Amino acid sequence: MRTAYCHDDTMLRITLCPLTFLTVSLLAAALCGCGGSSARTDTLIYAQSEDPKTLDPINTDIAEAVHVITNVFDTLVTYHDETSQIVPSLAEKWETSDDGLNWTFHLRQGVKFHDGTPMNAAAVKVSFDRMLADQHPLVYDTARPYQSAFSMIRAIETPTELTVVFRLKHPSAVFLSNLAMFCGSVVSPTALEKLGQEFADKPVGTGPFRVSKWTRDQQLVLTRFDDHWRGPAKLKNIIFVPVRESATRLQRLQRGEIDLADNLSPSELSVLAKDPAMTVQEVDGMNVCYLSMQTEKKPLDNVKVRRAIWLAINKRELIQVGYTGHAQPAKTMVPPTMWGYHEQMEDRPLDLAEAKRLMIEASQEAGFSLPVRLSLAIPNQARTYMPRPIEMADYLKDALAEIEIDVSVVGRDVNQHFQALMAGQHELALAGWNSDNADPDNFLYSLLDPDNISDAGNNLSRWRHDRFHELLLNGQKEMNRDNRLALYLEAQEIVLAEAPVVPLVHTKIRTGHQSRLKGFHLHTTGLVRLRQAHFEESH
Amino acid sequence: MPFVRQFPAIARFVFPRLVQAGLTMVVAASLVFIAMRVIPGNPLLSRFGQHVDAQEMAKLREKYGWNRPIHVQLRDFLGQLVSGNLGESVARPGQKVSDELLRCIPATIELTLVALLISLPLGIAAGVVAAVFRNRLPDRLCTFGALVGVSIPIFFLGIWLRAAIPWLPVARRLPEYAFLTFEPLTGIYLLDTLLRFRFDLFPVVIQHLLLPAAVLSTIPTAIIARITRSSMLEVLSSDFIRTARAKGSGLLRIVLRHALPAAAVPITNIAALQVGLLLSGAVLTETVFDWPGLGLYIKTAVVDDRDYAPAQAAAIVIAGVFVSLNLILDFVYLWLDPRIRTAK
Repeated sequence: MRTAYCHDDTMLRITLCPLTFLTVSLLAAALCGCGGSSARTDTLIYAQSEDPKTLDPINTDIAEAVHVITNVFDTLVTYHDETSQIVPSLAEKWETSDDGLNWTFHLRQGVKFHDGTPMNAAAVKVSFDRMLADQHPLVYDTARPYQSAFSMIRAIETPTELTVVFRLKHPSAVFLSNLAMFCGSVVSPTALEKLGQEFADKPVGTGPFRVSKWTRDQQLVLTRFDDHWRGPAKLKNIIFVPVRESATRLQRLQRGEIDLADNLSPSELSVLAKDPAMTVQEVDGMNVCYLSMQTEKKPLDNVKVRRAIWLAINKRELIQVGYTGHAQPAKTMVPPTMWGYHEQMEDRPLDLAEAKRLMIEASQEAGFSLPVRLSLAIPNQARTYMPRPIEMADYLKDALAEIEIDVSVVGRDVNQHFQALMAGQHELALAGWNSDNADPDNFLYSLLDPDNISDAGNNLSRWRHDRFHELLLNGQKEMNRDNRLALYLEAQEIVLAEAPVVPLVHTKIRTGHQSRLKGFHLHTTGLVRLRQAHFEESH
Repeated sequence: MPFVRQFPAIARFVFPRLVQAGLTMVVAASLVFIAMRVIPGNPLLSRFGQHVDAQEMAKLREKYGWNRPIHVQLRDFLGQLVSGNLGESVARPGQKVSDELLRCIPATIELTLVALLISLPLGIAAGVVAAVFRNRLPDRLCTFGALVGVSIPIFFLGIWLRAAIPWLPVARRLPEYAFLTFEPLTGIYLLDTLLRFRFDLFPVVIQHLLLPAAVLSTIPTAIIARITRSSMLEVLSSDFIRTARAKGSGLLRIVLRHALPAAAVPITNIAALQVGLLLSGAVLTETVFDWPGLGLYIKTAVVDDRDYAPAQAAAIVIAGVFVSLNLILDFVYLWLDPRIRTAK
């Protein structure tokens, strides 16, 4: 019979062997120094807060995917490098028929997809048919969040190799802006056929970079496309990395492990701003953060209550609490960086006495007693337009207590938060919106029009106003910019008077990167264009 | 052949355990299946964000069969499982869960192994020292250390270590740019860097492993130390140790050659269970260090995406790890203890 005694020498060795290994490894690792490198000059490492789910432009809505898509694809038209003005891209020029129903685009000659096939009218048609058709052999996923952006298209014709004609159901003032959105990207039909569902992993476009390798949840490598029609990009590779915790993004940035990081909190950006090796870029964004008041619920159906709430919120204080000062107070839903912003309109000023008076009046009229209890729904996670939801909720709770509103805060994970809001389950709620197409319609119609009251609609306050609705519908069909402006100004005045929402702030978009990264500029629409990005030569 | 003669007894021993193991897996998978559908939210929400299209969403619900009664869905799911299909992610359309698991499990195995390399020798050494110097200063220090090790929150320790040791990388398994020239083979990078002759990356892999493995090893180290201490105390007071002492053996020889091997069985037992805990319980450590393993996969599936198939598959893997560890331990006992084999 063997006993454990026979093994003792072996056991000793088994125990000691890893110890020796570990000690040697530790020493080796310590000797080799840190893994971060600042010697890279041709590869940019970009940390985002999550991995894209798909890279098929028709199937996504999240910013992390859009950042990649923007650099892999081109659209027919695009935004000017510094403003939100529409300029040519794959289409060199275009005309509109007098009735505004037919749009003819003349495509650039000699543009190639990453797979070497030519970009032509047929490819453009396929790209948009995929977005719109109920059944399409080249659609592998029917979840198309931006389908409605192109619902005005009736038919697409391709009279010549390089001419595309869009026939619309009705004149549309937002059609051209929508074409500049990432979801209007032109895709390679050959690649779609060849790759099938894998196109979402290895998409093929005409953009300055092509996807060379994507290991999901680890790294997504883009490589320069040398045949890009605007000339090759400066960087050889861009690696997108999902880094979920913002504290980790900050630390990795400081240690040189990454070059550019999104979604840092205001306090983290303040830390970076003090470091000479780091640069914090800041640009006025096209967004709004607002307080939705569910107008179908008592007492929020009473306009006096809604006005009182508006009067009780000190936006400047809110900006200190929720944004460490990096935002500007909002008086309307339309951001000041966008055309259509009502510059002359005066915000309803902070006035607690008036607010209290309105509350008392309303309570007597509607027969409710003060203090009144209301819930405030907030997302548990930060959004670009709302970096510190909990602090903001705390502030609002205190502010509204002054006018005898007893607020209880309800936090949900962000996707459930918006689902609950769309279903109208809230009373008060913090919400926000980032511009899709740099058009005021995108803010006013999407967020306040009665057409968008449904379980999936973004009129979270469920506010119905006939005149407002009429103005917005006319605005969509009116092709003259000045006439449209007049409609949107009146619409914004109605919102101020009726107060279905309290516009709170417009946030600045801020991002942190290594100072040696040059040629990268934040775009006011949030676009991330990396074609010109490069590293300064080290001295 | 004695084994053949003992076969009926062994079958009596093995068969119920296999059935039990299978049932445990089915129950675990079903519980997670139901739990994922009861908690609010679903994986479609993360795909539409703030641009929800109600019609498309309804169509997709239909396509995924979520409109059907939950017991029908559960039955289909179990049927799928039996045929070895773990399903596809909804949040990441077209991604097979089995492929994703194959990608992330090696990362967790590597982290677990290194954590064990730290905690086994350290825990055993601490336990032995504590037992030999019972109730004296070294014992008190080790016991206190074990208490701290068990009770310190992983999150806190991880974040503190990251800040305190600025020269070590704080996340991931390798710098991202390394993958431009390095193609993993098995997914165990310590091995892959050697197999690919990338000796320059080998120390970098270790650097990336150090902090997460150190953090992950705190709890098992403490548990192993405590078990070692108590079983060593028992062995040290037994007759054969007294005999060895009487024969004039030195302390070191008595401890290493006589006492430790005799105390090894409970230590092995507890260490095996730690492997299970480490493989499945690295969620916090992997989250803090952005370690792309099973723990982070579970966290993403359950917390961020509410993604059904990945969460269910991960639960099955974890249940599988525990069930197989228990089975293996049972067989080890069978081998160690002849009474089980010969029982009539």
